[in-house]
Amino acid sequence: MIRGAGARPRVESFRLANGLRVLLAPLAGSPTSSVWVWYQVGSKNEHPGITGASHWVEHMMFEGSPRYGKGAIDRAIIQVGGELNAFTDTDFTAYFSTVPRDHLSVPLDIESDRMTRALLTDREVERERTVIHSEREGNENWPEFRVEEETYQLAFRIHPYRWDALGRREDIERLTPEELRTYYQKFYGTRNALLVVAGGFEPRSTAAEIRRRFSKLPPSGADVTVGQTEPTARGERRSELSGPGTTPYLQMAWRSPALYDPATPATMLIDTVLGGESRLFSAGPGWGRAAEHPSARLCRALVETGIAVRATSEWRPRIYPSLFTIQAQAARGVPLARLESAIDAVVDRFTKKGPTPLEMNDARTRIRRGAALAYEGASRTGFRLGYFAVLHSPAYEDRLFSQLLAVRADQVRDRARELFRPDSRVVVRYEPTGGGVDE
Amino acid sequence: MSSANDPLRLEYAEGPNGLRIARQSPPPRAVSFSATYVGPAGWAYDGHGQEGTARVTAQLLTSGAGTRNRIELARFLDRAGGTLTAHCDPESAEVSVWGPADSAPALLGVLADAVQRPRFEGADLERVRRQLVERQLREMTQPGARADRELHLAVFPPGHPYRTTGMGDRRSVSRLRSTDLGKFHARHFTGGGGLLVATTSSSTRSLVRTIGRLFDDVPSTSPPPPPMPRIGGRSPKSLTIDLPGRSQVEVRMGGPSIARSDPSYPAAYLADEVLGGATLLSRLFTRVRSRGGLAYHASSQLEAMRWGGYWTAEAGTGTDRWRRVVPMLRQEVDRIVGEPIPTSELDLVRESRLGEVALALESTSDAHELALDVAYHELPEDHWVTWPSVLRSLRPEEVRRAAELAFDRRHSATVVVGPVRRG
Repeated sequence: MIRGAGARPRVESFRLANGLRVLLAPLAGSPTSSVWVWYQVGSKNEHPGITGASHWVEHMMFEGSPRYGKGAIDRAIIQVGGELNAFTDTDFTAYFSTVPRDHLSVPLDIESDRMTRALLTDREVERERTVIHSEREGNENWPEFRVEEETYQLAFRIHPYRWDALGRREDIERLTPEELRTYYQKFYGTRNALLVVAGGFEPRSTAAEIRRRFSKLPPSGADVTVGQTEPTARGERRSELSGPGTTPYLQMAWRSPALYDPATPATMLIDTVLGGESRLFSAGPGWGRAAEHPSARLCRALVETGIAVRATSEWRPRIYPSLFTIQAQAARGVPLARLESAIDAVVDRFTKKGPTPLEMNDARTRIRRGAALAYEGASRTGFRLGYFAVLHSPAYEDRLFSQLLAVRADQVRDRARELFRPDSRVVVRYEPTGGGVDE
Repeated sequence: MSSANDPLRLEYAEGPNGLRIARQSPPPRAVSFSATYVGPAGWAYDGHGQEGTARVTAQLLTSGAGTRNRIELARFLDRAGGTLTAHCDPESAEVSVWGPADSAPALLGVLADAVQRPRFEGADLERVRRQLVERQLREMTQPGARADRELHLAVFPPGHPYRTTGMGDRRSVSRLRSTDLGKFHARHFTGGGGLLVATTSSSTRSLVRTIGRLFDDVPSTSPPPPPMPRIGGRSPKSLTIDLPGRSQVEVRMGGPSIARSDPSYPAAYLADEVLGGATLLSRLFTRVRSRGGLAYHASSQLEAMRWGGYWTAEAGTGTDRWRRVVPMLRQEVDRIVGEPIPTSELDLVRESRLGEVALALESTSDAHELALDVAYHELPEDHWVTWPSVLRSLRPEEVRRAAELAFDRRHSATVVVGPVRRG
């Protein structure tokens, strides 16, 4: 048994002989049960030519397996009143179903069927190509997506964080069904999977059912470790984009540590003070987060003063070193150069003086409060347990939480000096060309 | 679970100055609290030439209230672990607090301040004005938002509450002064016509006492609903807008629909779910995405509100594919209106929607949405308890007849926005 701190429920954990890891979080009285399968496979395991393969496999996992023909997975979950979906990230892919608690066997049966035996027929792969194109095109309509994609392409020259999980347009056009099947057969298997079940179930019988359904799967799943290391950047990299719309937008990025790095807690506090969001420990109704944090430093310096209409920072938890970003949209009539100078001033001041005692106190409170509410409901519990487990380990949450509360202001300041190095900076500007609006 | 603790069963009570109160028990294991004030303060009440008033007012309620300015309010909420949000639609404005159950008294105090004592400070007004102007521009240049906007303009006549998205234009928003917002606030954030919904473990009696003390300043008056001009014209309209440089084409088809109080609403709701509401199972999703591979999203919505409603069928597709998608949407709308739904299909969708209610009991905020819906439409306290039997009693022909009423095609419009000429 792993004993959770704070709001984290008690979790039973075991591993099958074929390598499948299992976490069970029984929540007495919960009306639902949520089943999550996390694969440690994401766009980090792709290479140029097959970028977007993990995301494409995610789509294909709903298109047929031996016992579930096309559309049957959706029907099986929905007809018992459940919901299901999936998402792909750089580091992982996650599939989930939440059902009324009496129907837990349905998603368990589906996941055991498609874990290693999804069909990926030529016909269905081809049909899905245009769907994936459409998904990418929908994203391309947003300047923020274009800027984000450009930022990572500039920042990474070798490491697979260089491309977005959706994949490059050219690869979506050329990837063959055979290549997709090869990718799936190589990585999607019990050794790279984590099964999390949370909600209203009896743990002993559920563990027995999991053993019965999943133990028969052969051990599979190639090593998902990424071998490439991104070389140290030796100078600022810049890009100027232009495109339709009316959104003058700017993003700056700096190299940031991997999740398990000792520098992570102080980096997270920089994000909390500058952007207002205590990522991994943020509180909010539903799954959403607050759109704006008026007390955060970037908002006060840029939005309240009329330089930007929105501004925030973002540190993302990643298995390998990634990026810390600051992004802002200029207010009407404010040149992007002025916005950039204003962000520089915020960063400069922060690296010189660090956070104030009030900011540190508020950040810690926000983290404490967020942690207390993070496990409401079976779906959120399944998500959160799996998220930490797939990126590091379930117990890492407790360690990170304690470290966050122990970080001092001077450590945050020192960390900011290491983080905001001009020679590792990436700047991407988006200048809108208008269109569709009468000025 | 006793009926007093059943989150599917509300308790109604009278609050101060005509304010209606609805209490809901939190779901099992919930550790948070939610409360929402709903007032007759939607953008249908915007004055001529002052479009944007309702949106700006709602936004400013979260920007400082009572003794706290915007930053102080944000810090207070952070310390309480809570959030304060506001938004509006054509008919009403909603102001909500959410946070840990042990912060409920403090959060209700924040809600009372926001509803009754907003500060409308000049700097905040300037900021919200800037943000709204930016949204206006996005609405014109983003294919999805532009398509929604053009659809409403095409379907509803001038002066109709559902004709616009309430953002006004640059001129109308720049004209707004704090005094205008103060006047709008005084007229529309009222007890009469207002509603307070709380999802809390406190008893109804205790809640009523607290609300009585905290919301004593809301005026008892209530504004009359705005006029509803007749929707004229008898033939469907069609509009194509080219936005070069964009990647995706957004298609919208829609028209007027029924109000939530219409007796045929439950059957119309099921028809919409079969058409495109129950996404993965729906006809639009299946035909356009799963079988056709033509779009990433394809769905429909039935917005049944107090004064009326509208329906929409939509898809986001490629520049070379939209010409195939438009007739598919039209044919599926025609089919839902023209042919009874096979029993097996109807049963599948019906049971899936009933399951959705159970899933909403995962968290306080999800359950709170159920309560808000019931209380706003003044439905019976046991609405969600009886909902399964209501849905299960509906026969295919009733659903088809309701679809005929709800999916008005004579006054409908089709809008296509995006890089349409490239294909």
